[in-house]
Amino acid sequence: MSAARTALVTGARRGAIEFRNSLQTPSDIGYYIIGNLIFIVIAVLNRDAVIDGTALPTMLFIFPGILAMQLAFTSTYGLATLISTEREDGTLLRAKSLPNGMTGYVFGQVTRTGLEFFFSAVILFVASTILIAGVWGNGAVAFVALLGLLVLGLLSAIPLGIVFGSIFKNPRSVGGWGFFVIAGIVVISGLFFPITGLPIWAQVIGQVFPLYWLGLGLRSVILPDSAVVVEIGESWRTLETLGVLGVWAVVGLLLAPVLLRRMARRESGSSVEARRQTALQRV
Amino acid sequence: MHDPTAAISVRDLQMSYGDHVVLDGVSFSVTTGEVVALLGPNGAGKTTTIEVLEGFRQPSAGSVSVLGADPLTAGEHWRADIGVVLQSWRDHARWRVGELLDHFGRFYAPYATADRPRPYPVDELLHMVGLAEQGRSKVISLSGGQRRRLDVAIGIVGRPRLLFLDEPTVGFDPMARRDFHDVVHRLSDLEGTSILLTTHDLSEAEKLADRILILNNGAIVADGSAEQLARDVAGTTEVRWTTDGQRHVHTTDDGTAFVRQLFEQYGDTVSDLEVRRASLEDTYLAMVADSAIVAAERIGS
Repeated sequence: MSAARTALVTGARRGAIEFRNSLQTPSDIGYYIIGNLIFIVIAVLNRDAVIDGTALPTMLFIFPGILAMQLAFTSTYGLATLISTEREDGTLLRAKSLPNGMTGYVFGQVTRTGLEFFFSAVILFVASTILIAGVWGNGAVAFVALLGLLVLGLLSAIPLGIVFGSIFKNPRSVGGWGFFVIAGIVVISGLFFPITGLPIWAQVIGQVFPLYWLGLGLRSVILPDSAVVVEIGESWRTLETLGVLGVWAVVGLLLAPVLLRRMARRESGSSVEARRQTALQRV
Repeated sequence: MHDPTAAISVRDLQMSYGDHVVLDGVSFSVTTGEVVALLGPNGAGKTTTIEVLEGFRQPSAGSVSVLGADPLTAGEHWRADIGVVLQSWRDHARWRVGELLDHFGRFYAPYATADRPRPYPVDELLHMVGLAEQGRSKVISLSGGQRRRLDVAIGIVGRPRLLFLDEPTVGFDPMARRDFHDVVHRLSDLEGTSILLTTHDLSEAEKLADRILILNNGAIVADGSAEQLARDVAGTTEVRWTTDGQRHVHTTDDGTAFVRQLFEQYGDTVSDLEVRRASLEDTYLAMVADSAIVAAERIGS
């Protein structure tokens, strides 16, 4: 096997081991349970509700939004937090000291993020099958399209996570600013109520980010066609959806390695030691 | 020009951060298979030097050749030949010890050669560093000393041609320290690994290294085997004696000649004679004390 291929395969293994380690850690399991429990509670409370002026069940509209939000948090906020944590604790420096170690590290993160998201997605699929009537009404082809969109969504969001993780100096600043930024983007992306209800300026900003388009794409495959009337221009805009998500994915995949390399270049034992001293003082 | 056969060759290495000069013209070389200790008090520039050689830091000036390449531009092949023992903190806390070594080892497999099978078998490695019992333990459950041994194991899992150890035995108990010394001897004697280690502990440098470089205030102030340094650096002899109830102290390069002269001049009135050659330790401790005073003044100012 060539060294580059070894690094990819070893990186994928790394992601799988880290995911397994996460499943063996009580705090992580708690995170999965609470995240999905919130969805189940909302679904039970809103089981008879419909979107104003339509016959569309509210939960059918919210379900794609929950999937999109889960994806955004896991692959952008969660990944950025993890990368800045692992820069601080020296994980990244170890990767740098191995031949092709950074390639393995990045591929490991991509694998772990994908596994983590799809693990949550499967729980959401099962819960919504039980709780939301007609959730799979569009058939098997629509379900395959859903999976494809989720993969495209991950490809557009993971590089953003890597970019944010390499910009912020430590996990505390990701936690503070990153959370508000992502929460703001979720609000203007029309995941939980039709975006057409927002002021025009918010609609314009919302459509810049991939999250709106991911939500729209997921609704187009889950909701009945009649639901298109609450969307902008009363259209699913499928080509635009694929185009915007694709552009974000390409830009991110070009930008992320450059920023990571720049971040890794500055790593050394003494910079890790300095952060360790700062972190210990704070504790 | 750098000697192409040397494992490490450093010429006039300079490093400064703004006005603060950390390294001020450091030059030395390490030949293949040699174990060299970079000895010096805290803040002497040891870690900076080793990080430049590892390719983790760009020097302000000077030229550096490590295994025939510039560390900043050398590729992954070069990286596979280098072992770095890092100080672990809380990275990979959830991993099992054996699994982590196996994972890191896999990156080296494509760089295996007939004379250098890579990676090291995990069981052998665990045994070598005294972690045979901990293979299935989580990293977070290891004691400080065990963690440090894991760091050493990670540093050598790729069977490196050149190994960097930065303060390898900080936090070791005497037993762990002796085991670690065995590992270093084994690597250099059986595997022909060149080793550069930093330490502020003179006795450790004397036990481990073929050659000792003393770094003080950003410059190499002594370079040689422990015996050579004891002769060259220490050199001076302190003579104490009493005449007519009066205590005298004199420092000289030739104690024997001084004492002969002393007796010729004062004869039987000389008593309580003490002749003591300053050891390498005395010289080194004086050096550490000087730089501690400098550091204290810097903090105070």
